[in-house]
Amino acid sequence: MSILNDSALAIAKKIQNGELSAVELLEAALEHINTVDGRPGTLDDGDPTDEDRTKVHAFITLTQERAYQQAKAIDARVKAGERLGPLSGVPITVKDIFCVKDTPSTAASRILANFIAPYTATPVERLESAGAITLGKVNLDEFTYGSSTESSAFQPSTRNPWDTSRVPGGSSGGSTASVAAGEALLSLGTDTAGSIRQPAAFCGVVGLKPTYGRVSRYGLIAFGSSLDCPGPVARDVGDAALMLSVMSGADRRDSTAARVTVPDYLESLDRGVEGMRIGLSPDYMQITFPDPETGEFRKQSLPVEIREATLRAAEVLAKQGVEIVEGVPMPNMVYGIPAYFVISRVEAASNLHRFDGVKYGYRTESDFEDLREMYRKTRAEGFGLQPKLRILMGMYVSAAQYSEQYYQRALQVRSMIRSDFDAAFDPEGTYRLDALLTPTTPTTAFKMGDVYGDSVLMQYADQLTVPANHAGIPGISIPAGLDGEGLPIGVQLLAQDFKEEILFRAGYAFELGTADAAWRQVQPEVLKAGKGTSS
Amino acid sequence: MTDEITPELFEHLVELAAFAFDPKEADYLRRELNNQLKAIHQLEAVPIDPEVPLASHGVTYTTQGKPALREDVWEPCDNPEDILAQAPQVEDGYFIVPDIPHTELE
Amino acid sequence: MTEYEAIIGLETHIQLNTTTKIFCGCKADSWEDPPNTNICPVCTGLPGVLPVLNEAAVRKGALLAAAMHSEIRLTSYFDRKNYFYPDLPKGYQISQYDLALGRGGYMDLPMPDGGIRRVNIAKLHLEEDAGKTKYEKGVRYVDFNRCGVPLVEMVTGPDLRSADEAAQYLIRLRQLLRWLCVSEANMEKGHLRCDANVSIRPVGSTALNTKTEIKNVNSIEAVRTAINKEIERQVALVESGGRVRAWTLDWDDAHQRLTKMRSKETEADYRYFKEPDLLPIELTAEWRDEIVESLPELPLERRARFMEEYDLPEYDADILTSDRPISEYFERAVSAYGGDPKVVSNWIMNEILRMLNDLGIAANELILTPEHLAQVIKLVDNGTINNATGKAVLAKVQETGMAPGAIVAEEGLAQVSDDSALQAVIDRLLAANPAEVSSYRGGKEGLLSWFIGQVMRETRGKADPQLTRELLQEALKDSK
Repeated sequence: MSILNDSALAIAKKIQNGELSAVELLEAALEHINTVDGRPGTLDDGDPTDEDRTKVHAFITLTQERAYQQAKAIDARVKAGERLGPLSGVPITVKDIFCVKDTPSTAASRILANFIAPYTATPVERLESAGAITLGKVNLDEFTYGSSTESSAFQPSTRNPWDTSRVPGGSSGGSTASVAAGEALLSLGTDTAGSIRQPAAFCGVVGLKPTYGRVSRYGLIAFGSSLDCPGPVARDVGDAALMLSVMSGADRRDSTAARVTVPDYLESLDRGVEGMRIGLSPDYMQITFPDPETGEFRKQSLPVEIREATLRAAEVLAKQGVEIVEGVPMPNMVYGIPAYFVISRVEAASNLHRFDGVKYGYRTESDFEDLREMYRKTRAEGFGLQPKLRILMGMYVSAAQYSEQYYQRALQVRSMIRSDFDAAFDPEGTYRLDALLTPTTPTTAFKMGDVYGDSVLMQYADQLTVPANHAGIPGISIPAGLDGEGLPIGVQLLAQDFKEEILFRAGYAFELGTADAAWRQVQPEVLKAGKGTSS
Repeated sequence: MTDEITPELFEHLVELAAFAFDPKEADYLRRELNNQLKAIHQLEAVPIDPEVPLASHGVTYTTQGKPALREDVWEPCDNPEDILAQAPQVEDGYFIVPDIPHTELE
Repeated sequence: MTEYEAIIGLETHIQLNTTTKIFCGCKADSWEDPPNTNICPVCTGLPGVLPVLNEAAVRKGALLAAAMHSEIRLTSYFDRKNYFYPDLPKGYQISQYDLALGRGGYMDLPMPDGGIRRVNIAKLHLEEDAGKTKYEKGVRYVDFNRCGVPLVEMVTGPDLRSADEAAQYLIRLRQLLRWLCVSEANMEKGHLRCDANVSIRPVGSTALNTKTEIKNVNSIEAVRTAINKEIERQVALVESGGRVRAWTLDWDDAHQRLTKMRSKETEADYRYFKEPDLLPIELTAEWRDEIVESLPELPLERRARFMEEYDLPEYDADILTSDRPISEYFERAVSAYGGDPKVVSNWIMNEILRMLNDLGIAANELILTPEHLAQVIKLVDNGTINNATGKAVLAKVQETGMAPGAIVAEEGLAQVSDDSALQAVIDRLLAANPAEVSSYRGGKEGLLSWFIGQVMRETRGKADPQLTRELLQEALKDSK
């Protein structure tokens, strides 16, 4: 019994009609995890051995017992003839940035390593109510600060299943890797500047950032409160649509979760794309960044393979009736990164104030004379480098004397970025788009240890994804091919607020149009024969 | 060229953030921050029309789309003891912390 | 010798009497609860939690703003105030900074000389309360039961000129809060907390000098005493050539003295920014107008009206408007009585207030209704019962719920006003007490009271006192 080949949609149906046992499926998943994942990330010595270097290391905590309870319950209910939820028995992983009751909920940080959450995040609650089986909590960049998962305090950090010498992307690296490696059918990640879409592109899976407010953030350990979006990671668009339909909707515990009807995403999935207007923007075919020496702006075209993958995707869609609209200007997207830096760091610094060793989590074990010293030592010892940098930068740009210069301006830039999309999507405007098609990332997965996260180009790599976070609109990354080194390339579709349905329809049409493509037959390295598969 | 974040300013930020660093780490962090400032400085160069509104959120919430306010009805948490159980130090049902530094002068 | 005047501003934190906390469903009142039992993930600042605004907090806040003549902003925002303190679980307090619920406002404080001191309101906003800490055995004990309770912070301008005025302001504020039913305003329970800003300047100067802040004053008297001591201290300091520094002072009630707390927490850059987890509060003009219209007649307004409309002295009006229930009781009683309001006032001040005090209840909780009171007064007026009996009947009505008339009838309490019956009693009394009669006739006129008392005893309190006095005086006059 292999979970590798069926969609979540199909599996849930099989479980519901008794064809498949949830416990057996769980056991198959656990066996597979055992084969490909290697040891989970821990706070202790994480220097990878040779063996480690061939494994995925998606997990921080495998919640095996809990999963068994869930699976047994599902099977019992099927036996009793009950009608179950649409995700019955589907194994999922959850990015360890979500609180799940009675499980370690660590944010991949030492400062929360011993925190056992006393409550469960709303999206997880909804998924589990629909019958999903949570296999465990998967790895991420510490507090989601990063694009490679390498900054996790739980080492060894996750590796890309397509090439384990490379990063899976981040911060939802554990989520996308666990799905790409066939360890789970679905994963719950979060996207603040592209942290679902970028690792989805790197790992050759589907990753969606929903509209801000589409999915409740209750239980999501906060980074950028006005940017964070919980979202689905899946192997195909249909599964992502299924997962979103279960998670979405207003929540009494989240004042920013919008009261907007959740459409039947599955029902509209195969409606086709005839007449849809999808735009291409030259601004998204390059990265604009300040030269590290001179500070002057440079434009660097994206690699040929990535640009071509995007254009090919346009062709595939055009063949199915989409009207491709070229030359759509999105002039303010170039300011997305600096605005993001400021907004996210101001919010992050504040959100991380609560980690002080008083109520939960890590408290310093060294001596301290008074409260202030306890705070300092706890925080200095508990946080890794990336959180420290972000907190300090956050203090700087929000300090009273600088706030107007930085924070206020950043909020205005956000409006400007939003206005680009408003203009592009305006039904009475020039372009009247239903969606915008862009590459997801400026590179494919890079080597582990390659980039330290602070080089200028690395900082600007989120330039293609972050505008959607500023504007709040939804964006999806779908696999669109492989590069010369066999690494996945992702393309991105962006649509208006609450129009995820458009993204799913277009993505599905693209899947249909490329169903026979050669690149779809290629498997990630860890799944190839001899590396341990179940069949 | 003087760094924008001087050692003194850095100390102030460390104070605000309730951190403590040895000199080596402090120096490293301060340099990193100054490097990162380049990206942030881009903001100053952006031509912004003063009329452009500040957006706390990108999405617009319509009146119907906005969640309603919470009704004033008691909903007790069913496991407050689990919250207390997470504390590093507890006594008699209280969270325990060291005393706040202060001296009383006449 | 320079004359100085004091410049005082008060910062008050008012705990609203909603059922639940401002951002979560825990109780707002947990005074009796064991520590850390009235908590949830939200009010203890657990990772991943989010605030959800309590509509009653907005409503009560708006009502208070309206009563303080403050403009209710139709769109207001919450802001984060960031700092570290163990009673602040998130490391920031959700408050309102520049675009708060209320804008401007004032209270016109009646002064003893008959004038008015207009106290302006500089800030009026909603925020969440922190938890409580206590120092014991060398460490701090933290309890989050109170964390997240809705507060309205109101800051006055530097408009008060003496400790007494400051005390008056607090008294009037407390009265108003209870009047509107937005807060219990019990200072001992921390429902109304006050910090005082104090500075001095030479009389005639218009400059504002450096001020100190006095914290932890938990009663009206403490406010008065602490401010007076601080004024003294500042005057002495300045007179001796010193300079007032912007200290934060702590009031030590046990030792009745001010101490200076030096704490790094006092110099904070709060780095305010709009709270991204909450959407702006959007009120419609209709809703706001409804709130303003729903304002009852306010205590000072009613006090003025009582003096005018019922021709009552200030003293009476003050007492009769000390709380809303008693003022309503008074008016209903006057209406039912139909006679001189001052009579009703006297009965209430003398009898009803004592009853309320003894029973520990409010006027609207009495079984003895204003209508009952009016009936009793009328019974006394028309001589059916005497004053003393009247007071006793009040108590019986409260006890039994029976109408006064019924009680009088059933217990046969009607006054003995029959001349002949009384005369008979008096004759018997004088005959039985010749020594006292001689004493009286010999000049000890004070014995009249004794005689009256004896008649009362004989008649079990039912003798008409006026008639008794007359008849006695007549009887005692006759010398034989």
